[in-house]
Amino acid sequence: MRIVIAGAGEVGSHLARLLSTEQQDIIVLDEDRERLARLDANYNLLTVAGQPTSFDALREARAGRADLFVAVTPYESCNIVACGIAKSLGAKCTVARVSHYGFMDPANEATMRSMGVDRLIYPEYLAAREIITALEHSWVRNWFEIHDGRIILVGVRIGPSAPLANMQLKEFAATAGNFHVSAIRRNHETIIPRGDDRMEPGDVLYITTLRDNIPHLIELCGKTERHIRRVLVMGASKIAIRLCDMAGDRFRFTIIDNDREICSRLPEKCPRAEIFHGDARDIDVLLEAGADEADAFVALSPSSESNILTTLTAKELGAPKSVAEVEDIQFIRQAESLGISTVINKKLLATSSIFQLLLDADASTSKCLALADAEVAELEVHAGAKITAAAVKDLRLDRSMTLAGLIRDGRGMLITGNTVIQPGDRVLLFCLAGSLHKVERLFR
Amino acid sequence: MAAVNRLNIPMLLKVMGGLLIIEGAFMALPVAVALHYGESDWLPFLISACVTAALGTVFRRGARPGRSMLGKRESYLLTGTVWVVFSLLGMLPLIIGTAQMDASDAFFEAMSGFTTTGATVRAADAPPLSHAVMMWQALMQWLGGMGIILFTLAVIPGLNSSGGMQMFNAEVPGITHDKIMPRISQTAMSLWGIYATLTLVLALLLWAGPMGPFDAVCVAFGTMSTGGYATPAGAEAIFSSTYSTLTVTLFMLLGGINFTLIFNAIMGRWHKVRANDILRIFLWCIVIFTAMFAASIALTHRYTDWRDLSVGPLFQVVSTFTSTGYIWPGFQGWGQFVLALTFIMMFSGGCAGSTSGGAKIDRLLYLQRRTANELHRCLYPNSILSVRINGAIQSPELVGKVISFLALYMIVIVVGGVVLAAMGLPTVDSFFSAFACISNTGFGASVTGYGDDFTDMPAAATMVLSALMLIGRLEIFTILVLFTRSFWRR
Repeated sequence: MRIVIAGAGEVGSHLARLLSTEQQDIIVLDEDRERLARLDANYNLLTVAGQPTSFDALREARAGRADLFVAVTPYESCNIVACGIAKSLGAKCTVARVSHYGFMDPANEATMRSMGVDRLIYPEYLAAREIITALEHSWVRNWFEIHDGRIILVGVRIGPSAPLANMQLKEFAATAGNFHVSAIRRNHETIIPRGDDRMEPGDVLYITTLRDNIPHLIELCGKTERHIRRVLVMGASKIAIRLCDMAGDRFRFTIIDNDREICSRLPEKCPRAEIFHGDARDIDVLLEAGADEADAFVALSPSSESNILTTLTAKELGAPKSVAEVEDIQFIRQAESLGISTVINKKLLATSSIFQLLLDADASTSKCLALADAEVAELEVHAGAKITAAAVKDLRLDRSMTLAGLIRDGRGMLITGNTVIQPGDRVLLFCLAGSLHKVERLFR
Repeated sequence: MAAVNRLNIPMLLKVMGGLLIIEGAFMALPVAVALHYGESDWLPFLISACVTAALGTVFRRGARPGRSMLGKRESYLLTGTVWVVFSLLGMLPLIIGTAQMDASDAFFEAMSGFTTTGATVRAADAPPLSHAVMMWQALMQWLGGMGIILFTLAVIPGLNSSGGMQMFNAEVPGITHDKIMPRISQTAMSLWGIYATLTLVLALLLWAGPMGPFDAVCVAFGTMSTGGYATPAGAEAIFSSTYSTLTVTLFMLLGGINFTLIFNAIMGRWHKVRANDILRIFLWCIVIFTAMFAASIALTHRYTDWRDLSVGPLFQVVSTFTSTGYIWPGFQGWGQFVLALTFIMMFSGGCAGSTSGGAKIDRLLYLQRRTANELHRCLYPNSILSVRINGAIQSPELVGKVISFLALYMIVIVVGGVVLAAMGLPTVDSFFSAFACISNTGFGASVTGYGDDFTDMPAAATMVLSALMLIGRLEIFTILVLFTRSFWRR
């Protein structure tokens, strides 16, 4: 697929790098030649220097022939204009990154379309939604559901006392048939397991199941479901504001920020939240804000390091659930191994939603799960796709992907080796990074 | 040792295996030619093709890389070694076949072919070669002209990654490497597509003239790659018919132009072609040098007919600038001034990103603009000056890299010349030969008057010249970086 990415900032660069290893045709457009030179020298893509909102530069970047045009500069107005021009030049689908909820409002969709913007990515919104999911399901690290939760994929770290620890996958399948272990994350590596792989304590298991089996799964993993009410938030960032707004009454928020100016204007945006001014890295401030009584601690300051370390402090003080925003991708694994329950990364969330677009232009689900080196996707099976040719075990699927579950006629079911996928099914799929093109080939 | 171990050698061998299989496949063409002409050379070529392909298969199947990453270091090492290995296998049919060369001569011939130098160690009065050998010599130049690795990138899908891109950077001549398509395989395919199409057109045009089909194909290979190979009958036809001379001149010229520019012209982006400083300067240089050639020949009364004053100088100037190395009959007698101009043209070469050799006009333009800035700065130290090429400011790092390239280029020529002189060659010839080889022009020493071509060179000298050709073809850095400490240890 021909993809033009306008803006080689953090999201744009990450997306370009990832997609170029996914065997897509990538052209990156940005004004900053130095940034482009770095991308150009190291990745299999084409770069064009120029303003994303200039006709000449967009023509030069062949935006008119793009299957997908993604505008991810830091300025939403620039993104929207760029999308508008690209659309008028002939781009098939345009995506703009925005940072205000107004654009996302379904009431304004027609306006956005008339301006030439087909889709929107709003990373802060995705992040806030991810945090809410994490708070609602406190016992897991990741929670991904399709079709109103008929099929659920959870990422959960198991301890030594969990009943399924040290069990082989085939034993587990024999004792409890309603689960599909899709992937195992061990020592910073994600593997797609086979029957004789063992689930070791400390692993993060990605298990797919149907909704009714969730209580059983909680038990098997040795977890308890905990209702979260009081949430302590560090940093009054855009995500924090979005989070308070979207969560409504479900949680009681306390926000700590070290900028008095921001704090004093915050009550307008988050009327229900309690606001503290101070440095959350200071333990006295944390205690004053009630860290010892909080059910969850969410660190959303601009510094990944502060977020990780403060979250660890808050855990020590007694917050059972912890969420940290980690924007440096190489720190994500470190943060996970330090026991931070959920890690949020805007870049991964944004790229993940673009991946969904790539895999299935009409994906009705807008949920996405951002993992550092893997993707979870929901795909619709079209008539004549290779995947429908035989039973799953006879398809000789690549080891970088696994089919977890599917929705057929509104009913969820797990996929086993004997399942034959039919056109019209919606399949939940787990694949490692770099295998998108293989998935594409199967479903086309 | 630890650093060496970290090089991904198995992956390197695996890629090399693929490359060798391709070389083996190309050797099948001379086999067909030999069979067609009923020559005994089909067997040596078949053996060589089988050996090459078998070795390739062993590498490809045998190597089990733990990771498929090719980093910058592997890419440089691979690019450097591939050209040597290709020459080592490419010389096989020359040794075991009817050409009956010894190993050092055959290696020189093969390297001279792949690097499109076109120099030969065969004496002018040696018995004629078989059609198969002639085809192989032309084919080697054609493969080397656009680049062995570039060809592989176009046909092997597995290299369509950042590793393949590093190899592209290491092989393709030029200051910056313009990609013309998003993926490296598409870029390689477009470039090879243009190259192959131009070659085909040239072969047809030549065939329409006084040349036979076999000679037309061989000359087309030698011309488009700016290698300078021609079969004896082909050479005769080029020089006797004005039509053939001009056709070859035009296509040599195309071979000396940046292929990205040709691509843009084909895509109808003429504004880019018009805005290109380098093309303009290249064309002006050709006009001016041709005029100087003609004037010099006319004033010293060294001409025999009108062609020596018109198409002759034009042909020779284009042939030298583009490092093709065809020699107009009587060029040796055009005098010292013409010879001095030849030195300048060999140094300059054609446009970056073309199949020509030399230091490239682009680099000289950088040097000229940078030097002009420095002179201006002597008077106005606070003025802000930048090097602009095609209207765009070039970063000081890039300009610095270009200038150190030129310095290194000079140093390599001087060292090469001194080493050759130490082997007992006359000084002028030593330097001329070093010049001719590093710039991939391939003029024999006959131009300066020392013997016929490279026939009288000692074996050691041919090895030095082979090394110079490779250094020149891969534009110095790719080879010299392999001999730095930082390459082997971190």
